[in-house]
Amino acid sequence: MSTETENRSAKILLLATLSGGYRGADMVGQGHMDYPPNTYILPVMSAAIFPPKFYIDAFNKGFDAITVMYSGTDSPYKGESEKTAEIINETYGKMKELNLDPRRLRLAAICTVCVRPFLEEVQRAEKLLEEIGSVPRPLTKPQAVPAQPAGTQGGIFHAN
Amino acid sequence: MPEENVNKQAQAGQNPKDEEPRIGVYVCNCGGNIGDVVKCDMVAQTLGKLPNVTVAHSNMFMCSDPGQKMIADDIKEKGINRVVIGACSIFLHEQTFRRTLERAGLNPYLYYHVGLREQVSWVHHGTPKEATEKSIRMMAAGIAKARNMKPLEPVRLPAHRHALVIGGGVAGLRSALDLARRGLQVTLVEKSHYLGGRMAQWERVFPTNEEARPLLKRLIDQVLAEPNITIHTGAQVAGAKGYVGNYTVTIRQQPRGVRGTFPNEQGVMDVCPIKQRCEFNYGLSTRKAIYRPYKECVPEGLVIDWEHCTKCGECVQVAPEGMINLEEEAHEFTVEVGAVVLATGFQPYEPFYGEMGWKEYPEVITLPQLHRLLDDEGPSDGKFYWNGHPVRNVALIHCVGSRQVEGVHRAQMDGEVNNYCSRVCCTASLSMASLIRQKAPDAKIYEIYEDIRAYGRWHEDYYTRASKNNVTFLRYYAEEIPEVRRADEKAENPLLVKVRDHLTWGEEIEIPVDLVVLSVGMMPNPVQDLMEIFKVTPGSDRFLLEVHPKLRPVETAVNGVVLAGTAQGPMNIQESCAAASAAAAKVSALIEQAKVELEPYVAHVDPDQCQGSGECVKVCPQEEAIELKTFSENGRTFQRAVVTPANCNGCGVCVSVCPNRALDVQGWRLDEYEAMVEAIAADIPAWEGAA
Ligand SMILES: Cc1cc2nc3c(=O)[nH]c(=O)nc-3n(C[C@H](O)[C@H](O)[C@H](O)COP(=O)(O)OP(=O)(O)OC[C@H]3O[C@@H](n4cnc5c(N)ncnc54)[C@H](O)[C@@H]3O)c2cc1C
Repeated sequence: MSTETENRSAKILLLATLSGGYRGADMVGQGHMDYPPNTYILPVMSAAIFPPKFYIDAFNKGFDAITVMYSGTDSPYKGESEKTAEIINETYGKMKELNLDPRRLRLAAICTVCVRPFLEEVQRAEKLLEEIGSVPRPLTKPQAVPAQPAGTQGGIFHAN
Repeated sequence: MPEENVNKQAQAGQNPKDEEPRIGVYVCNCGGNIGDVVKCDMVAQTLGKLPNVTVAHSNMFMCSDPGQKMIADDIKEKGINRVVIGACSIFLHEQTFRRTLERAGLNPYLYYHVGLREQVSWVHHGTPKEATEKSIRMMAAGIAKARNMKPLEPVRLPAHRHALVIGGGVAGLRSALDLARRGLQVTLVEKSHYLGGRMAQWERVFPTNEEARPLLKRLIDQVLAEPNITIHTGAQVAGAKGYVGNYTVTIRQQPRGVRGTFPNEQGVMDVCPIKQRCEFNYGLSTRKAIYRPYKECVPEGLVIDWEHCTKCGECVQVAPEGMINLEEEAHEFTVEVGAVVLATGFQPYEPFYGEMGWKEYPEVITLPQLHRLLDDEGPSDGKFYWNGHPVRNVALIHCVGSRQVEGVHRAQMDGEVNNYCSRVCCTASLSMASLIRQKAPDAKIYEIYEDIRAYGRWHEDYYTRASKNNVTFLRYYAEEIPEVRRADEKAENPLLVKVRDHLTWGEEIEIPVDLVVLSVGMMPNPVQDLMEIFKVTPGSDRFLLEVHPKLRPVETAVNGVVLAGTAQGPMNIQESCAAASAAAAKVSALIEQAKVELEPYVAHVDPDQCQGSGECVKVCPQEEAIELKTFSENGRTFQRAVVTPANCNGCGVCVSVCPNRALDVQGWRLDEYEAMVEAIAADIPAWEGAA
């Protein structure tokens, strides 16, 4: 895929909840299991705080894939999981308008000991970026939105 | 929540001085754990050039006294008013560094922690250049956040001076007693119908060789004499609401079906037609559906096994009138507590069918069963007999269900093997060897072990004593575990144990024996329900997980929920009691003053931005956490959202729906994240020329 940003290394943002994915990432570290360094993990209390605009801005600023690693239905926060899923779905709509592949954004339930699922998520994002490359920037709305091919949704994934 | 706290809280998050950020940046080498991969000096040097960074250092151990002093000195001498530290996991040292800031007179929340060890150096071993670049970017994000950080105040809440202890084994009892003696109210909930847990099932206990039950009785008597403790046996937690300081816990209690004690208890048990496996004797005997778990059990008296009782009424006929009620129902009640001690204990490993002859040959038993067999109050009155014959040759095989190796041992239901050491079984086996020697002076005793781990004070004596007492030791290696098989029909002893003995340089030896004892390891009691109710997590060994094994050894990640005893991992009685006392100390430090301090991470409304849309109120999942209030100013009436911090748990659902960006979760603000994202994605010119 040809983009103007082809030569820069793709960046993956992992928004990981302190009660889920962030601890999972720590567990991976404690096991000394390697994964690529273009992954940037930010701790979050609750994934429900981010509105769709936050994700679009992050793509615009330089991230090529974002995975929200929350605790899913195990979240200590009532309503977090439903609200986060709702926001992500809303964001897919906005991504479509910008011709951004929805697979770049993913919501994954990663628990505090989900070592393997964490690594699989990272691997999945890496593979995706190998396939579709970096985000073409700046993001602009195309004249006509092409129909979305089947099976390209980012999706909500539950590891636990 | 008291009004003044609400007001104080509402003001928090505002920086009165709006001072220019002077950021101190500190990069920890972690004694090479980080520094062997990440060029910490270069990280500090690069970050030192960023705007608002006043000092940037790297240090061998930031958590050490000199490391902390460096930060404190910079705060005092160089006017540092924000701190960013790149070190090990946030879960290990966040509190340490917060206290450093506090001691130096800086608000402890003006600090951001970047996990450079678990999330950089330990996962990017092979790519040091990229790991260094990543560290710079992650720290730059921290600096970007720090520029926007505001001082915060913890939320202070009233707390019930009342603790709930779950589990009435030795650990739960010890915790309850310590808490009560500190003046706290204690509710102790025990699932079974008697107190004492596993310890009641042992004959004698190392390292003092005291009789277990009289020793336990001393502790139970002290607990019973303590007016601050309320005990519920046959009871389990069914649910809980609330948070540290203010839990409302629902307890479900099974009835005993029998009121008090009466003289003809044996006669009542005799007439019951139902026979069940006696769990107290690990299945070496049977009991009735109306039974007494063991002679001196507390509470004393009979109890009905509702699962197997057919309500035939035979027992009611024989018992004094009104003593037995077969229609009694389980009931639920609630208690209000400030903190919870999880002391739910362990269960012995259950070998699978055929594992070293288990269940395949009746002459294979487990170490807990051996305890019952040799107990004077056990099923054979303490005689070392099996199948009616004296046991003359016995082999004790160590490490069954412990220190398992993937590929050699069969995995548990969750697909994992028990790769941990159960720690107590070596000394427990050795002490049993000595007891066997006393009971059967001529018996041949074989201890077949992988390693002897008699690690505690006086434990080694058991090994020495066994060696002097003509116990034969044979050593196997994990990859070739001993085999147990049936001997020829004509053979004198029913079983043969085949072992490659590495004390005789790998010689293959076959030992004819009458009895094989599997020294089984420890597994946690199944407490999935409690994990869900209290949001605590297990470690990879399935035992409940502490925050840190050395630094915060009895606390869980959930405020106000602590661990005691073997619910956390294999321990002996001494260690279980030490952990239980530590848990009690933690709980009392937390709720003794009838108040707790919580993190200030709750929703905060910017009154200048709020237009009173009410979207936040509509989506808030918490009760009474946010509401619209009417205000008047200069003759104008308007509505604004107001947060009640005590009821807000910081879920942030309100943040994303506010059309005016008037809401944020304090400490985790959206503008901070935006700045962090920008910082990670930005080019780092100083870095380009480095490496
Ligand atoms: C064979 C063997 C021999 C041993 N010999 C010795 C020895 O000689 N010396 C020594 O120091 N140590 C010995 N130990 C270790 C000793 O047994 C433990 O250290 C001790 O029993 C741990 O106490 P605990 O309270 O943590 O757990 P437990 O004794 O298991 O007690 C836990 C209690 O919690 C209750 N419970 C469980 N789940 C719930 C729930 N959901 N709700 C309410 N209650 C619940 C259980 O019914 C139980 O009463 C031995 C261990 C084994 C296996």
